Amino acid sequence: MTTKTRKRYAGLLAGAALLALAPTASAVELNVIMEEVPDYDIVARLTERFEAANPDIQITFDAMPYDAMRDKILTSFLAPEATYDIIIVDNPWMDEFARAGYLASLDELVKGTDGYDYEDFVAPLRAIGEVDGKIYGVPYYNYALGLIVRQDVFDAKGIAVPTTLEDYVATIKSLTEGDFYGAAMQPQQGYKIFEEWKNWLYAMGGDLMDENGNVVIDSPEAVKALEMYIDAYNNAAPPGSLNWGFDEALRAVASGKAATMMSYNWMLPTLNNPEGPAGELAGKFQLYEVPGGKAVLGAWHWAIPANAEDREAAWKFVSWITSKEVDKERVILGGAPIRTSVMTDPEVWEKGYGERYYKTVLAILEDAEPLATGNNAEELIDIVGTELNAAVAGKKSPKQALADAARRVKAALE
Amino acid sequence: MAVEAEANGMAIPASRWGLRYRLLLPLTLTLGAVLLYPLLFSFWVSLHRYQLTRLQDVRFAGLRNYLKLFEDPAFWNAILNTLTFVFGAVTLELVLGFALALLLHRLPRFRHLARAMLLTPMFVTPIAVGLMFRFLLNQQLGVLPWLLEGLGIRIDWFGPGMALFSIILIDVWQWTPFMLLLLLAGLESLPKAPFEAARIDGASAWMTFTRVTLPLMKPVLLVAIVIRGLDAFKVFEYIYAITRGGPGGSTETILFYIYKVGFRFFRMGEAAAMAYVLVAVTLALVTLLYLLMTREGRRRS
Repeated sequence: MTTKTRKRYAGLLAGAALLALAPTASAVELNVIMEEVPDYDIVARLTERFEAANPDIQITFDAMPYDAMRDKILTSFLAPEATYDIIIVDNPWMDEFARAGYLASLDELVKGTDGYDYEDFVAPLRAIGEVDGKIYGVPYYNYALGLIVRQDVFDAKGIAVPTTLEDYVATIKSLTEGDFYGAAMQPQQGYKIFEEWKNWLYAMGGDLMDENGNVVIDSPEAVKALEMYIDAYNNAAPPGSLNWGFDEALRAVASGKAATMMSYNWMLPTLNNPEGPAGELAGKFQLYEVPGGKAVLGAWHWAIPANAEDREAAWKFVSWITSKEVDKERVILGGAPIRTSVMTDPEVWEKGYGERYYKTVLAILEDAEPLATGNNAEELIDIVGTELNAAVAGKKSPKQALADAARRVKAALE
Repeated sequence: MAVEAEANGMAIPASRWGLRYRLLLPLTLTLGAVLLYPLLFSFWVSLHRYQLTRLQDVRFAGLRNYLKLFEDPAFWNAILNTLTFVFGAVTLELVLGFALALLLHRLPRFRHLARAMLLTPMFVTPIAVGLMFRFLLNQQLGVLPWLLEGLGIRIDWFGPGMALFSIILIDVWQWTPFMLLLLLAGLESLPKAPFEAARIDGASAWMTFTRVTLPLMKPVLLVAIVIRGLDAFKVFEYIYAITRGGPGGSTETILFYIYKVGFRFFRMGEAAAMAYVLVAVTLALVTLLYLLMTREGRRRS
């Protein structure tokens, strides 16, 4: 409503200005919904420069916690006039929002932008924003999973960081001693256990669905992956951590109680920051690809709602913040990378966190698959995440839990 | 009022009748708009296949959303968890709250100070209480498990079998003060005469409690149980902050489930049907409770 009134005023003013034969620009106000995370702070800082260069566009951020976003975005879609002119879309929502017709297709805009170099975004990230052959989102930042380890612990024992899941489970079991655990796991029901376990599923060669879209979550590979996960939880993770999510696992690793965790790749700089949560342990952490190589890829994308008033202005901002030059600055400031050219840029290595880090992140991103896709991704994550947690809790056998998951996912997809 | 006037045999001119109804009109309309409309709309939604991401394809579904619930084990699991939670939490809160109220009632000095201190948990936002206990009870990082370990006790607070009970205890921590407040007010308003009579008759403390205090307190108890029970049915924040329904769905309560289906999966039709079943279940329970307590009262008198 405010946008409209303001625009109306702007229109009147412009008309008056024309009459007075004095050229004035009418400012467009763009409302952007954001999640309150460090990556947002960086974007907000950079945006001041965008506004200075584009006095006719005014950006207003509405930052909020994750859990508040999904229904706010949906409400804005359904409103006769969009609350948000630019939104960020989490990976599981992309197909659902695009197929419901709530997002504007960006193909023309991407093609019409000189020097944008869309192909420079890492391929699996691009794939998330493309639905049924059309572009609906361009990457904002990645949250692919990697294996974060206490390098000093591995070095002291003279063991290599495992690259297969079998080795990983054996290693974390052997590292568990007294009050020190091989892995801080995140078996919390729902999203967290799903996100973590799916890496194990990939490592065993399984998947949620086959290429024809059949549900194969109850395959022998999946059962094996779940059995190994439970074995690891029972023998290498802190006892009583069945409801642990991101915060608890991070605290356990940061306080020196666990040797490894599967977490977002950009947690490494945070842990290695002497003023960060790890304190004296900072500098002792290292990032690797998850065992088995293929990682779960989460990503946020910029998108423009179909009911947004000024697509051109919205795209002007989105294409600016994701452009090669600005993205490079964003990554140097600590933003999670999305472009190949940025991750292979020596200047970024030097000013950022070093060559090894960006090369590892690039390797993780290149061999990664989205957390979940399809119209019912959110529901699928919840169903599978509940059954997995029940199996780890010992309420069901792994086979039974996955059979139930398969049955319920099929029912939800109908 | 109109009935009363009629019973008194007063004649009311037709124009005044009209005025009365016209005066009622604004309130009726406001209530209709803010209460009736959402209720009717959600009932309409519950009879349709109504998914927020498929609004171009809303179809009449009859009772299918309701019938589907009967085959949904997750729904019945949530109902059962909720009933366990309500029963456990309200019973514990009632016993503890009543005991504390009796003690405070006899406290000669500092009663107001003690009451104020005991009431504090009630004023903390439930979501903050949830987050607080998530870390207080954390096996590796929490204070409580650490203290208990010193005594040689090791409890996995959010493990299978224990999680729902832990959530009940958190609720007891936060809402016993509410029971205390209500019951203390009830005790303070009781007439003195029956107690004096009991003392003169030489009744023991226990006799006085069971034969005098309890029967006199019955209406207050009923109100306290109903208010607290209805509130406990709506438990959401602790689950949301701590377990997200886990482990294995053992703390998934009905409101959390409705939230998931409605606001995360956008299946509004099914969520609305669940909400209506919940209303029916609560109404039945409240009626049952009311009947039980009043019938017993009548039999005694």
